[in-house]
Amino acid sequence: MPDFSIIIILVIALALVFDFTNGFHDTANAMATPIATGAMKPKVAVGVAAILNLVGAFLSTEVARTVSGGIIREGDGGVLITPDLIFAGLIGAIVWNLVTWLMGLPSSSSHALFGGLIGATVIGVGAQAVDYNVVAAKVILPALIAPLIAGGVALVATRLAYMITRRDIGKPDGRGGFRYAQIFSSSLVALAHGTNDAQKTMGVITLTLIAGGFQAVGSGPAFWVIAACALAIALGTYTGGWRIIRTMGTGLTEIKPAQGFAAETSTAATILASSHLGFALSTTQVASGSVIGSGLGRRGSTIRWGMAGRIALGWVLTLPASAIMGAFAAGLALLGPIGIVLDMVLGTIVIMALFRWSRRNRVTHNTLLNDIDDAGRVVDIKKTPRRPNRRNRKKVSL
Amino acid sequence: MIDWSAFLIVSVASLVSAAVLVSLYSFGLRLLTTAGRIPRVEPHEFTGAITVLSPKKAAKQLKRSRKAAAANALSETQKRLALYGGYTCFALSGIAVLYGVYLIVPALHG
Repeated sequence: MPDFSIIIILVIALALVFDFTNGFHDTANAMATPIATGAMKPKVAVGVAAILNLVGAFLSTEVARTVSGGIIREGDGGVLITPDLIFAGLIGAIVWNLVTWLMGLPSSSSHALFGGLIGATVIGVGAQAVDYNVVAAKVILPALIAPLIAGGVALVATRLAYMITRRDIGKPDGRGGFRYAQIFSSSLVALAHGTNDAQKTMGVITLTLIAGGFQAVGSGPAFWVIAACALAIALGTYTGGWRIIRTMGTGLTEIKPAQGFAAETSTAATILASSHLGFALSTTQVASGSVIGSGLGRRGSTIRWGMAGRIALGWVLTLPASAIMGAFAAGLALLGPIGIVLDMVLGTIVIMALFRWSRRNRVTHNTLLNDIDDAGRVVDIKKTPRRPNRRNRKKVSL
Repeated sequence: MIDWSAFLIVSVASLVSAAVLVSLYSFGLRLLTTAGRIPRVEPHEFTGAITVLSPKKAAKQLKRSRKAAAANALSETQKRLALYGGYTCFALSGIAVLYGVYLIVPALHG
């Protein structure tokens, strides 16, 4: 029985912190639209999001198994990766996450996590320790394909929603009623977020426990791990929500209730289906894909390619950039205990510096709701046709 | 080693489920509107991100929806049928969501 060393406790703590920041960062994905369209009171929305994240984390552990059992190849005597390297990977992921968050670059916490882990493994163990097949099949391809799927689905769903409720111009179409639907669709998104994002942290902790020899190779997450991760992400969601409420006054991209409902339903459906098959995708990217798709589903919409390119760049950059950070941290960790302490100190310094910097710049709309909001601005939509004047109306109505 | 069929499953499953949900809810709204019960949703709370109707505008909207309801060519029975149809659609979409959740939770069906 190996001893419960300090490094394992450190990794678990760090992983939970990562989980917390993940929830903190992603509340907006689920709850920004219903708050913006007035479907839910902000306080209620945030509370519901937190609870559903908690529930979602318990629902499925497929993604956790992908992370703990698939990506890092197992050697003859168990897993080759050591807790030190996981620690280094986490530091890399958290730093990259904070950097992109503060720079207003859309990025994915999930890919930062995988990038960090892969980078650390390549430096620490060697390139052969990473199972590239699994990385390609369950991380990289879903990352590319899932937003496209979500976008396509959202396009169809939006078209359907508008088509079914279409009436002659001037007659009330009752589309405001989609606001009520948004309460449910955004709750589903929060649930889906729990089934995918909380899992990643569970996977990392389980990987650490396996690496440390506490758990059999290939086993799933233990109950206390699931519970801890679920709590961490729920707390993060709740705390993050309060910041969103504070900055709500700065305005959001205009998303109509019908469009928001279609987008959210597509996001939730895509994430839930993927979680079920163990794809570790980025919820942020899927949500962005849906928002873009649903924008295209509306009449008179065109894509702003510059904005779309900027988003795509952030997505593409994340995996390699966080891999480099993770590799750097792993290089330090290889020096032994001194390296780990060095990692921690450096990590803390960077995080504190970023925090100080963010305090100076106050929270703005740009740093907070950027991901989905940018996606909303990718699509340019002409104004809906005005109601015809009285003389022309006679020709159309009744 | 890459399992392309899994991607196919994900896309088909999400497309079908999203399309079914959205259609059901939209039909529900459509039927409500047909029945003359146009949902008017006022923002619960001023959030700054939404266009809040002035009382004058809200009254105008209410008047318009009353007028539309009065000009409804349907008989009372037809209206009632449409209303119940609408409620059925909402209920069905709710059931569809619950069924979806049931499908993805392994604990519920072993």
